[in-house]
Amino acid sequence: MSEAIITAEGLRKHYGRVAAVDGLDLEVRRGEIYGFLGRNGAGKTTTIRILLGLIRPTSGRVSVLGHTLGTGGQAWLRQVGFLVESASAYPNLTVLENLDLQRRLTGAPASAVGEVVERLALGPYADRRAGRLSLGNKQRLSLARALLHQPELLVLDEPANALDPAGIVEVRDLLRELSREHGVTVFMSSHILAEVAHLADRVGIVADGRLVEEAPRDELAARARDFVRDSFTAAEREEALLTDDLERYFLARTGGGR
Amino acid sequence: MIGQVFVTEFAKLRGSAVPWVTLAAMLCGPAGIALFMWIVLDPARAASLGLLGTKANLAGLEATWPAFAGYLPLVVGGSGLLLLAFIVAHLYGREYADDTSKNMLGLPVARGWFVVGKLAVAAVWWLVLAVAAIGEAFVLGTAMGLPGLTTELGVRLVTATLLTAGASFLVCPIVAWITIWARGYLAALGFAIGMLALGDLVSHTGWAPWFPWAIVLTGMATPGDLAWASVLVLLAAFAAGLAATVLRLVYADNP
Repeated sequence: MSEAIITAEGLRKHYGRVAAVDGLDLEVRRGEIYGFLGRNGAGKTTTIRILLGLIRPTSGRVSVLGHTLGTGGQAWLRQVGFLVESASAYPNLTVLENLDLQRRLTGAPASAVGEVVERLALGPYADRRAGRLSLGNKQRLSLARALLHQPELLVLDEPANALDPAGIVEVRDLLRELSREHGVTVFMSSHILAEVAHLADRVGIVADGRLVEEAPRDELAARARDFVRDSFTAAEREEALLTDDLERYFLARTGGGR
Repeated sequence: MIGQVFVTEFAKLRGSAVPWVTLAAMLCGPAGIALFMWIVLDPARAASLGLLGTKANLAGLEATWPAFAGYLPLVVGGSGLLLLAFIVAHLYGREYADDTSKNMLGLPVARGWFVVGKLAVAAVWWLVLAVAAIGEAFVLGTAMGLPGLTTELGVRLVTATLLTAGASFLVCPIVAWITIWARGYLAALGFAIGMLALGDLVSHTGWAPWFPWAIVLTGMATPGDLAWASVLVLLAAFAAGLAATVLRLVYADNP
């Protein structure tokens, strides 16, 4: 079995009487894409913020890349790229200037900026102020910021947010390439099952701050097929397939492949 | 890494209108003093231009260099406290307003360096504004032909104004802490206005040498008379504000 990159044991985060995360155990292995799936308010973003050291857990133990959170400094973050919740950037600075700030503070080489601009197709917007970017391009900029210093671990909270269908496919391909060809570990949260199903090697389902199910993607898909067969009528299943076909057609017509 | 933090904190001001707005606001102070002195120099001309109301009483104001040298530190101390609070609240609060705080705090850089870097930007920004106010005062005073300028007085004007600016700076880390605690500008600006009012009130009591904001408002017109105890109070306010800001960023939740 691969080395664990993220481990969380008995993780709890309480805000007064409200438990945002409630006894979460988690293990993410090197090189895998781990889909962290849950509805709004399930505790995904709180977990991600804890993993990045932005908030402190009420109790529990977290280790990321061998560093136990709550001890030592911030140097371990040099190996982590992240995107939390919504895309954000300094609105008065251009795309290049925003990325240059990140480059300087992560110690990445000067050439890294041009590489991520090309990779995320931000070339036409390179000199545009971030405040004047569309939401989708702002999301691309945030992803570029996360990738700039070639991290070992990517922690992405809803990475497909605000992207158009073609953009979603591009980002999906990019993350797959980073994982397969460069061994980057990806921990991505989403409330959209299809997004996780397309990418993840393993999926954890979180509800009310707890991990309620965790399985390899194919195993989870088999469980889902059995569940759908037993719980829905043939007409309902046909309707769901139609929606799936329509989505594929829409993607094909808007530049997203077959 | 601290060098890169300084570079990036200054770089964040690129393309921003805020430094220019604060410069314009700062230049209003000496311009206001000069306007009143210009009226005093020739009340009839001012009245003919509609600048002087029939009930205006400017009897206490002299149009001289010694008077200008007395007023400028007070203007920089009074209005400057608010302007500097605005600058500090902007530097720290924008990270929350633009939702970039999470990006900044997730960087492999000790968080305390960001506090220091932003304070360094505030210090340079504030120094530029103070020097601009002094320069404007000399230009306007010379243009109006005010009497009484000597080398000694010129040095006193510059020294007193810069010391007032420095004293204002020593209380600004507390504004930074309020900004981070409240995750935005408003509480910090409200605090600054409240402290200015309280400082004015306290400056009329015997507690003035012990209250940082009152020290700034009253003590700097004659900087040579400032008690060492007041200097220590200002330094303690700076240290407490800096420590509280760093501790807040390092140990509190930053959601």
